[in-house]
Amino acid sequence: MPSLTIDHKTISVADGTSLLEAARQAGIHVPSLCYLKKVQAIGSCRVCLMEVEGARSLMASCVTPAFEGMKVHTNSARVRAARKTVVELILSDHDGDCQTCDRNGDCELQAVARDLGIREITYAGSMSVRRKDTSTPALVRNTAKCILCRRCVTVCGQTQGVAAIFPQKRGFQSVIGPAFTSDLADVVCVQCGQCAAVCPVGAIGENDETAKAWAAIDDPKKTVVVQTAPAIRAAIGECFGLPPGTLVTGKMVTALRLMGFDKVFDTNFSADLTIMEEGTELLTRLKKALVDKEAVPLPLLTSCSPGWIRYAEHFYPEILPNISTCKSPQQMFGAVAKTYYAEKIGKKAEDVFVVSVMPCTAKKYEAQRPEMTASGVRDVDVVLTTRELGRMIRQGGIDFPNLPDGAMDSILGASSGAADIFANTGGVMEAALRTVYEIVTRRQLPFDNLHVAPIAGLTGVKEAAVKIEGTVREWSFLEGVTLKVAVAHGLGNARLLIERMKGGEHYHFVEVMTCPGGCIGGGGQPRLTTDDVRRARIAAIYKEDEGKPIRKSHDNPEVAAIYQEFLKKPLGEKSHHLLHTRYTARERV
Amino acid sequence: MSRSRCNVLICTGGGCVASGALELSAAMRAAVQKRGLDGEVQIFETGCLGPCAAGPVAVIHPDGILYQNLKPADAERIAEEHLLRGRVVKDLAYERRPDGMEALGLREIPFFRRQEKIVLRNCGLIDPLKIEEYIARDGYGALAKVLTEMSPAQVTEEVKQSGLRGRGGAGFSTGMKWWLWREAHGTEKYTLCNADEGDPGAFMDRSVLEGDPHSLIEAMTIAGYAIGSSQGYVYVRAEYPLAVERLTRAIGHARERGLLGKNIMGSTHSFDLEIRMGSGAFVCGEETALMTSIEGNRGEPRPRPPFPAFKGLWNKPSLLNNVETYAAIPSIILKGASWYASMGTAKSKGTKVFALAGAVKNTGLVEIPIGMQLGELVFDIGGGMREGKTFKAAQIGGPSGGCIPRHHLNVPVDYESLVELGAIMGSGGLIVMDEDTCMVDISRFFLEFVQDESCGKCTPCRVGTRRMLEILDRICEGRGQEGDIERLVDLGHTIKDTALCGLGQTAPNPVLSAIRHFREEFVEHIRDHKCRAGVCPELVRAPCQNACPAGVDVPGFVSLIGEKRFDEALTLHRERNPLAAVCSRVCFHPCESKCRRSTLDDPLSIRSLKRYMVEQEKELNLPPMPADGENAKRKVAVVGAGPAGLSCAYFLARLGYRPTIFEAASEPGGMLVQAIPAYRLPRDILRREIGMIEKLGVQIRTNQSLGRDFTLSSMKEMGFEAVFIAVGAPKGASMGMTGEDAPGVTEAIDFLRQYNLTGKVPVGKNVVVVGGGNAAIDAARTALRLGAGSVTVAYRRTRAEMPAYREEVEEAEREGVKFQFLATPVELQQEKGKLAAVKMRRMGLGDFDRSGRRRPVADPQGDFMMPADQLIAAVGQTLQPNEIFNGVSLKLNDHEFIAVNPVNGQASEEWVFAGGDAVSGPSSVIEAIAAGEKAAVGMHAFLAGKGDIPWRAPRIVDTFFDPDADPVMGTRPGLKLIPVSRRKGFAEVETTWSAGVALAEAKRCLRCDYRE
Repeated sequence: MPSLTIDHKTISVADGTSLLEAARQAGIHVPSLCYLKKVQAIGSCRVCLMEVEGARSLMASCVTPAFEGMKVHTNSARVRAARKTVVELILSDHDGDCQTCDRNGDCELQAVARDLGIREITYAGSMSVRRKDTSTPALVRNTAKCILCRRCVTVCGQTQGVAAIFPQKRGFQSVIGPAFTSDLADVVCVQCGQCAAVCPVGAIGENDETAKAWAAIDDPKKTVVVQTAPAIRAAIGECFGLPPGTLVTGKMVTALRLMGFDKVFDTNFSADLTIMEEGTELLTRLKKALVDKEAVPLPLLTSCSPGWIRYAEHFYPEILPNISTCKSPQQMFGAVAKTYYAEKIGKKAEDVFVVSVMPCTAKKYEAQRPEMTASGVRDVDVVLTTRELGRMIRQGGIDFPNLPDGAMDSILGASSGAADIFANTGGVMEAALRTVYEIVTRRQLPFDNLHVAPIAGLTGVKEAAVKIEGTVREWSFLEGVTLKVAVAHGLGNARLLIERMKGGEHYHFVEVMTCPGGCIGGGGQPRLTTDDVRRARIAAIYKEDEGKPIRKSHDNPEVAAIYQEFLKKPLGEKSHHLLHTRYTARERV
Repeated sequence: MSRSRCNVLICTGGGCVASGALELSAAMRAAVQKRGLDGEVQIFETGCLGPCAAGPVAVIHPDGILYQNLKPADAERIAEEHLLRGRVVKDLAYERRPDGMEALGLREIPFFRRQEKIVLRNCGLIDPLKIEEYIARDGYGALAKVLTEMSPAQVTEEVKQSGLRGRGGAGFSTGMKWWLWREAHGTEKYTLCNADEGDPGAFMDRSVLEGDPHSLIEAMTIAGYAIGSSQGYVYVRAEYPLAVERLTRAIGHARERGLLGKNIMGSTHSFDLEIRMGSGAFVCGEETALMTSIEGNRGEPRPRPPFPAFKGLWNKPSLLNNVETYAAIPSIILKGASWYASMGTAKSKGTKVFALAGAVKNTGLVEIPIGMQLGELVFDIGGGMREGKTFKAAQIGGPSGGCIPRHHLNVPVDYESLVELGAIMGSGGLIVMDEDTCMVDISRFFLEFVQDESCGKCTPCRVGTRRMLEILDRICEGRGQEGDIERLVDLGHTIKDTALCGLGQTAPNPVLSAIRHFREEFVEHIRDHKCRAGVCPELVRAPCQNACPAGVDVPGFVSLIGEKRFDEALTLHRERNPLAAVCSRVCFHPCESKCRRSTLDDPLSIRSLKRYMVEQEKELNLPPMPADGENAKRKVAVVGAGPAGLSCAYFLARLGYRPTIFEAASEPGGMLVQAIPAYRLPRDILRREIGMIEKLGVQIRTNQSLGRDFTLSSMKEMGFEAVFIAVGAPKGASMGMTGEDAPGVTEAIDFLRQYNLTGKVPVGKNVVVVGGGNAAIDAARTALRLGAGSVTVAYRRTRAEMPAYREEVEEAEREGVKFQFLATPVELQQEKGKLAAVKMRRMGLGDFDRSGRRRPVADPQGDFMMPADQLIAAVGQTLQPNEIFNGVSLKLNDHEFIAVNPVNGQASEEWVFAGGDAVSGPSSVIEAIAAGEKAAVGMHAFLAGKGDIPWRAPRIVDTFFDPDADPVMGTRPGLKLIPVSRRKGFAEVETTWSAGVALAEAKRCLRCDYRE
C-alpha cells in the first residue's frame, strides 16, 4: 500500500497501482488517450504525463507504478506545456474534420484538446498515411484519423486473439492495419468491431447504412419491419445521455414507430425460436450419443454470434461440426419475416424489407453471407448498429428520453425473459437450460430465480454442472446425467476454452459469444464499453428478464403459434430449410 | 605465435575485406610460396587494425612496418623486397618520416602511438578464428581466475572498482549494474550482449566481433558467473554477416573446449551462448526494444519500470551490456581494477574506442584513454584536417549526440564534459567536420536518420521529430520562417522531456547542439538565404558564387570569358563587384577553395581568369545607370574611400544617387593605396577603377578627416540624409611591450602608409617584422625592396597557423624574407639610443584557443637575441572610435568596432550606416566590397522605401553549355610571375596569362550554376 503525494494530496493506493489510476482515485482528472483500463497501458500517446520529483524527464502516468513517498505533480507548468504540445502534435497529423465526423461530440481527442485549451497547432506539417478501408461489410477504417493509440491492436490481438491489425512500417509512416497494409477483407478479421468499440476517435467505425434504412422507410412499396436485438434496449439510452443500464424498451419501440417502420418486431421472438431449435438439437445429439451410440459431435457449441462463427471457420475449422446448425436469431427472424409473416400479410418476400438493429458489427457481415437467403431473397436487408439507430433517432428529431412507452407488434413481437438474456454472456446457455431441463423433467430448472449463477458475470471462462433427475419417460436415458456446460465470452477466452477441450475437458454444451460481456458489449454499442458499463447493461437485462410474465422460450405463445401454423416442429423440414445453416472451413490468411 | 622469421598480418576486418584483403592474402601466400619462403614467413589473417580508410593494410613483424592501400599486385613487390631482401617498400608504407625517406615503424606512427588498446588488444594481432591464438594472448585466463579464485561478489566488486562504465552510450557504472542484477530475484536470468551497433559510422563492436570474438564470449561467461545466469544471447545486427560468422565459429570452438556449456573448467558454473540476429532497426539498440525483438516481436521499446533487472527478456532479470563494455572485462579481471582505473579521468575510467571519420586525415578505429583532449584526438591521432581545410566541429555520439565547435577543442573527451557541451560519448562515433559542412544540413541529416528509425510508438518521437525535420527542411530550402529556430528549440526540449525511450529522448540533440554552437548559420539560412558552407542546393547556385562575399556570378563571367565575350563578362562581374581589376590582383579568392572542380582535378584559377578578363578592357565600360531622378537630389555621403566606401558609392550611384565621399588621406583607395604595396596592385590600375566610379557621379573629397575636419553632427547640419561610415581600422595595435616607442620601432600600417603615400620611409639594415598576417608580409616585402639588408618575419605560431595568404608568404620567402616561427619579442635592447637587438622568446604550441588553433605557450628557457635596428609590428589594427565620433555615440560591438545590423549595415543611429574594417575589424577587400553593397541597398531602403535592386535579380547567362559532355580534362595553370631577380623595385610581380591558357582554363569550369 504505497503512500504518495499527488498535487499536495497524500493518498495510499494498492500495490502496483499506476500513477494515473492513483490520481484518478484522488479525484484528479488526468487526460489520456491510449490508456484503457484493464486492457491497455503502454505509455504510447504521452498525454497522461506527470512530473515526478527526482525523475529526469516527465513520466507517462499510465505505465508508472506508484511508489512509497513519490511526489507527483499533474498540473505544473512543465506538465501543462508538454501535454499541450503532445496533443498538438497528435492533432497535426489528424484529419480534423470534426463537424462531419461520426465522433463529433463523442470524441476523446476532441475532449482532450478542449480540456487542454488548444487553440492552434503550433507545429503543423505534412500528414502521414491516408487510407480508407471499406473492404468489409461491417467496418470502415480511416487511417487519416488514426492517432496510433493502439487500443484496437490490443483488443484485436489480446482480448480477441485475432490479431488482424497491428502497427506496420516505422516512424511517421507508422500505420495500424492488416499485414502488408492490405485490406481488412483480405485477412482474418472476424468483423466483431471491438476495435471500433475502443477507438477514441473516428478512425474505426461501422459501415454506416442509415441512408439505406431511411430509403426503405421512404419507399411506399415496401413493408419495412424492424427487429431489435435484446442488447439494444439496455444501451440505446446512452446515445441520449441516459446512464448505462437504463432500460428503454418501450421508448425504443415508440421511437421506431415514429421513425416510420411499418412493424416493430423483436429479435427476442426469434431468440425463443432459437432455443426451441437449438435445445432440440442438443437433446437429439445427446440421444444419438447416449442411446444410439452414434459418434455425434459433442459438445454442441452455440451459433448465435457471427464473429465467433467466422473465427471458428478460420481458426478452428475442425470444430465446425460441433457448432449448432441453428441460424442466429437475427437470421431466423429474417427468414420467417419474409415467409411466415409475408404470407400472413399477403406480400411477396421481396416486398418485405427487414431492418435489424444489432449491438454488433459482425451482424452486417452475417446478413450478407451467401447462405442467408432462405426466403428466396436476402433474409435481412439492412443491419444497423445501436449507434446507427441512435443517429437515426436524432436525425428524426425525436425527443427520445421523453417518449412514452410502446409495445412490440405481433406476430413476431412476443418474447420470454429467456430471450432477453441472449444479450449477455451465459444468457443463451441459461435460456437453453431453462427449456431443455423442463422438456426433460417437466420441472422448472432448479436454480434460484432461474438464474444459473456459475455462468453469470464477467469471468472469462465459466462452467456449470446440472444434474438431471426425475426425467420423464421419453428422456429417461438422461436420468442421472450431469449436464456439463461451459461459457466463454471474448474470442481470446473462446480460444482458451477450445484449447481446454482439446486437452480433454468434456462438456455437453458450450456457449461462445464473440464480445467481452456478450452482445451487451458488442462492437456496435455506444462507446465506450468498460467493465462497469457491461455490468450495468447486464443488470438491466436480468431486470427485464425477471419482469417478464413469461421466462421460458417454450412458453412464448407466438413461438407456439408459428410451430403450429407454419413450422410444425423443431428440426422439422421447414425449420431445416429456414432456420438452419452450414459452415465452411476457411484458410487462415 | 610461431617461431617464423617474419609474420605478415593481413587485416581482414570488414573494411579491408571490402577493399580486397582476401585477394591480397591469397596473392601474398602465392608470392611467399613462389620464393620458397613458406617456412620462414607466416601469413595471418587478423581482425581490424584500425586505419580503415587506408585498407587493405598489412603489418610485417618483427619490423613493425605497416603497408597501406595494398592491391594483390603489390604482394609480389613486398615479398621480393621486404620478405626476401629485408628492404621496406617505402612507397607502400603507411607513414614516412617528414623527409619522406624512411618508413615509420608501427609504434612511431602518430595514429598508433597515442592509443591505448584494451578493448582492441587482440584486433589486428591474432587470427580470430583460432582459439589457440586467443589463449596464447592470455585468453580465457580471466575466466579461469574467476572460476577458481573469485566469488561472484568479488568479480562484481572488481568490475565496480575498475570504474568501467557502459560503452553503449549512457555510461552507467557496469559494476553497479552487475551488482543490482546479482541482487535481482529469480533463478533464471539472462546475460545479453547488445551487438546491434547502429550509430552511423561507428563500428568498434563489429571490429571486436570480427577480430576478437572470444573476448566477448569470455566476458559474457564471466558476467553470467557474476550475476548467476547460465544463458546468454548476443543480439547482432544482420548487416554484420562476417561478425556473425566469426562469432558463431568462435562459440563452436569454445564449446568444443568446454569453455561454454556445463560445468565450465570443472566448476559449478554453466553458461551457454546463442546468437540472435537483429533485423536492422536502430531502435533495437534500446534495451527494452532489443529484448522485445529477441522475444520475436516488433522491436519496440516498452516503458520502464519495470526495469530489465527485474523483468527483462521473457520477464526474467536480464543483464545487458554492449560488446565494447564486455571486451574490457577480461583485462580488468586479469590486471586488476586499479590498473584499469589508473587510466582516464576522475569519473570516467579506462579507455574508449572511437570511430574517427570525416574530414580528418587518418580515419578508422582508435582506442584512447578517456580524458584525452578532443584536439589531440583530431590533430595528433587523426593527423589534422584534410586538404588544409579548417576544423569546424566534431560530431560525437551519433544521432543522439551533438557537435563540439572549434573553440572547445580542449574539452577532455569524457562522459561529463561532453554532456556539458551538449554532446554525448555515445557509442563513440566521431565525425570531424570542416568548413564545407553545413551545420543546418548535418543536423537535418541526423534528424532524418532518427525520424526514419523511430519505431513510431510514441507521439513525440513519431510526430515531433517529423515536425522538426520539416522545419529543418524548409530552412535548408530557403523557406525558413522567423521563429523557426525557437520552434526547433522548444519542440526539441519537449521531445526530450516526453518521449518514451532513449531514442526519442535524445533525438533532438544533434539539432539542439547545432543551434547552440552554430546559431548564426541557422540565422543566415533563414534571414539571408545563405548557406556559408555551400551545401544546401536551393540556396547555392554555384559553390564559387556562394563563397564570394559579394556574390559575383563566377560561372557567368568565366563562361563569358570562355566565349571571348570579355566586355559582357566584366559587366556581369561589376554587377556585384565594381573593383574587378583590383580584385583580380589582391582578392584572396574564397571562390577557388570551394570550386567543385577540385574534386576532379584542381580548382579553377578564378582570380587569374579575372586578371585576364580585366586586361581585355579597352575602354572603361560603365554600368547601366538610371536617368537623374528623385534620388539624385537626396544628399548622401560616404566617409572613407577604401573598398567599402567606393563600393557603397558605386552602388548608390547605380540607384541614381550622387554620393559624396570624404577621404582623410590625400589619395582615395584606403588600404588599397595606403597599405597594399604597388608590386601587388599597380596604382594606375587602382586609379582607373576609382575613376570609373567617379564617372558615375560620385564626388571624392580628399584630406577630409572625420573627427578632425567634420563630424557626424556637422554632416547632419550640411543636410546629409544618410551616411556610410567606412573609415577602416586604421590604427595599428600596440604590442604592449616596454620600449615600443623607441626609435627604430614602427607599426606596419604606419610604415606602409608612409611609404605608399609619400614615396619614402626609413628602413633599417636588420629588420624584424612581428606578426603573421598580410600586413606583416607586405611590410617585410616592402622593406626588402627598400634596401633592408635582412628581413625576418617573427611569428609566435607556425607557418600552418599564419593568417597571411599562402601565396604571399611563399613569394616573400622566394624574395629572401626569412621566417622565425614560434618566437615572440619580449624585450627591446637599445644601444646609443637606437634599437640594437630584440630578445625573442621561444614558443611552443599548447592548448587550442577559441579559433581552433593551438595557443602559443612561452618557453622562457629558450630566449635568444636577434640583432635588429628596425622592428615593424604587425599585430593587429583597431578603430579609434573616440577620435572619430566625437559628439555622436554609435554603439560598438564586442570587438570595439561599429555595431550594425548585418542585413543592411545600419548602425545604432538610423541614418548612419557602416561597413568594411570599421565594422568587421581587419578583413579582406572583397568583404569590404560586399559590405558596401549591402549598405547601399540598406540606405536606399531607408531613404526611398523598398525598391527593386536591379543587380540582385537572378539572371541567366546565355553561354553555351552541354550538360551531357564529359568535362575536358586539364590541369590548373600556375600563376605567371616575374622572376625574383627582376623584383627590385615595385614592379608588379604577377603578369597576365596568354589567351590560350586563359581560354582553356575558362573551359574547365563545370558550370555548377547550370539548371535545366
